Amino acid sequence: MAEAPPLTPTILHVDMDAFFAAVEVLDHPELAGKPVLVGGTGNRGVVAACTYEARAFGVRSAMAMVKARQLCPDAIVLPGNFARYHEVSTQVHAVFAEVTDQIEAIGLDEAFLDVAPAVRRMGDPLEIAQYLRARIATTTGLRASVGIGTTKMVAKLASRQAKPRATATGVEDGQGVVVVPAGTERAFVAPLPVRALWGIGPSTAAKLAGVGITTVAELADIGEAVLIGLLGGGAGRHLSAMANGRDPDPVSGGRPVQSISQESTFPVDLHDAGELAAVLTEHAERVAAQLRSKGMVARTIAIKVRFGDFTTVSRRATQARGLNTGQAIAKVATDLLASVPLRGGVRLLGVGASGLSESADEQLTMFMDDGAVQAIEEEWTPVTTAIDAVRDRFGPTAVGLGRDLDASGLLDRTGRRPDRWGPTAPNPTP
Amino acid sequence: MKFRSERDALAEALATAGRAVASRGSSAVLSGLLLHCEGNTLTVTGTDLDLAIRVQFEVIGITDGTAVIPAKLAADIVRSLEPGALTIDAVEERVDIAAARSHFGIHAYPAAEFPNVATAATPTFHIGAKALTEGLKQVVRASSSDDARPLLTGVLLTNHDGGLRMVATDSYRLALRDLGVASGGLADSDILVPARSLNELARLTNGSGDEDVVGIAHSANEIAFTVGNVTISTRLLDGTYPDYRQLIPESYPNQLVVGKETLMNAVRRVRLLVRDNTTPVRLSMRSGGVDLTVKSTDGDASETVDGDYTGDEFTIAFNPTYLIDGIDAVLSDEVVIESTDASRPATVRSAEHTDFRYLLMPVRVS
Repeated sequence: MAEAPPLTPTILHVDMDAFFAAVEVLDHPELAGKPVLVGGTGNRGVVAACTYEARAFGVRSAMAMVKARQLCPDAIVLPGNFARYHEVSTQVHAVFAEVTDQIEAIGLDEAFLDVAPAVRRMGDPLEIAQYLRARIATTTGLRASVGIGTTKMVAKLASRQAKPRATATGVEDGQGVVVVPAGTERAFVAPLPVRALWGIGPSTAAKLAGVGITTVAELADIGEAVLIGLLGGGAGRHLSAMANGRDPDPVSGGRPVQSISQESTFPVDLHDAGELAAVLTEHAERVAAQLRSKGMVARTIAIKVRFGDFTTVSRRATQARGLNTGQAIAKVATDLLASVPLRGGVRLLGVGASGLSESADEQLTMFMDDGAVQAIEEEWTPVTTAIDAVRDRFGPTAVGLGRDLDASGLLDRTGRRPDRWGPTAPNPTP
Repeated sequence: MKFRSERDALAEALATAGRAVASRGSSAVLSGLLLHCEGNTLTVTGTDLDLAIRVQFEVIGITDGTAVIPAKLAADIVRSLEPGALTIDAVEERVDIAAARSHFGIHAYPAAEFPNVATAATPTFHIGAKALTEGLKQVVRASSSDDARPLLTGVLLTNHDGGLRMVATDSYRLALRDLGVASGGLADSDILVPARSLNELARLTNGSGDEDVVGIAHSANEIAFTVGNVTISTRLLDGTYPDYRQLIPESYPNQLVVGKETLMNAVRRVRLLVRDNTTPVRLSMRSGGVDLTVKSTDGDASETVDGDYTGDEFTIAFNPTYLIDGIDAVLSDEVVIESTDASRPATVRSAEHTDFRYLLMPVRVS
């Protein structure tokens, strides 16, 4: 095959600046200019997002909330409002959709866009990036940074360089848009630490450091063969391509959902088997509701149990036919929990569904031993369909099961749990 | 304990034994490797209590003794040193690693807390390493990773006509391979070996020559494989394996014979439309070959493969990944697919060798 012609950089990585925290500041203007943290407000929560004012204190997202509070004792800590972030994210994605249909969303606050189809209509990618930032600012009041490159990895690294920066004296505006022209990718990535590349986690970085490689330039120089020897075929080839600014992975719109999961960390460790089963059942219902809302079934159900000492146990079970009723998924999950020796209190419990599909095709088995689960699924499918129909018309708390009733009425079991970043503190800061 | 070793020999031993070390162990000492120096022999042992890997090799022994060093840190340090000789000196809970111009002093774990890993018994039989590797690659892939079916996460080893039979199934497919033994034989009992340890074994024996053999010793609850200077031992799974023999049909009315690469490439191509791992590929058997079709939310694909088919014209559907696993495990140019109907198990096997069979349950399509 002939050498491909030089590519024009048309891949944009659009990343909202401090998204969740910025939405909070937007909704509560009195927070402007202050260090704001969004995340699990309890002792075991993690920081989901923070303003640049908080970053000046060394706070980062994914940091333990306890540590973040130590670094920045004056921070305003908010539990987050996922429904609101989702709403703003939808507005942002509507702006993307004005430009191109080749959008690969990564979470609520970032996306890759291939704008090649829009160049003739809207101008070069830099102009498109400036248009996007202006449109996002006028429709949502928020700021985004954009990186432009010939590959997704380069675009993502470029958007990071475009970001505002927190310094000891205040927040410095970033460039907003950074373009890496075609042919300069290698030079662009060369000075970066290897950890900046996708697919290099702490263990790979340590392996590379062991042979004296700490920058992308060193990684690029070492040659593919050596990397394959060090890291194995797949990883070696991948990293060699990345280090040279190549990444053949295209922007893929509409990547299918691979798994759905739900977990929660408890404010205090749970010891009681009944309480654990109740949490598992609630998670199973939420997972099932999300499956049904996507029109999918899951063949593999997994649970995750983290003990007080942080040891974590996962168990999974695969069914011959996909499930999407809360009862059947709860049955599989509680059976799995029963197989885990409970030593001490449980800190975190989760339920996950994978092996997702839209079809009800049945993988036949040699030994039929999951008849009980299938019977529950069949029994509950018509009931669940009826409940979903009522909820679609009258809302998620219009109808439900008796066990989801408390003094305030029926609890919403259809979406994600509100405490997804860790348990809420007894008295949140504001 | 004090000894001198070449960096490469020690680095390799630490990496090999380190594969048994639990990534998130229940106790700190299990994240360590036991070093035991006696005379000029160093033994390195790693274990997660289920699986143990032990490597023995020659060093220059200075003082006999025992130490438990942190597995990952020690392996990283030794690998990073300049090539050449290095000295390990352990006194109580401190280990000094010294090379030409580098020196590390690291904390060790109390050796007394390291679990007692029994020394493997003398092998009762031997098997060619090359054939064993081949068999493991064919069979272990069919074992289950499903914790709800612990027995199926193992591979059954059983005596068959004086040879060794290996069987694995996840209840959707079943792989069976018969191997001749070089000497001795398995006692006349079924044993169930965790697939994980066999994957480690296959890693170790991969690339073996025609002359290499694996020694096997087993008791009622443990099995040990010895390859050169490395011994892998594992606890056996306890329970009665499902009776696989009754699942294998005596004969099949339908038989398809096709080129292995042709069929493999065709299935791989149509599988491109399968992104959920559950959408089946349909095989429409007809005189002169087979037509493959996949219909998914992304669209549809079809492919015609020429071959010899005898039997009724009908359509059977399979999970494409399971089908590919079966075709890939056949070690000849032509693959035979035998079937009865759309809801009973089909067999994938070689046209020439009879020592391997892959039984595959269909998908019932709605």
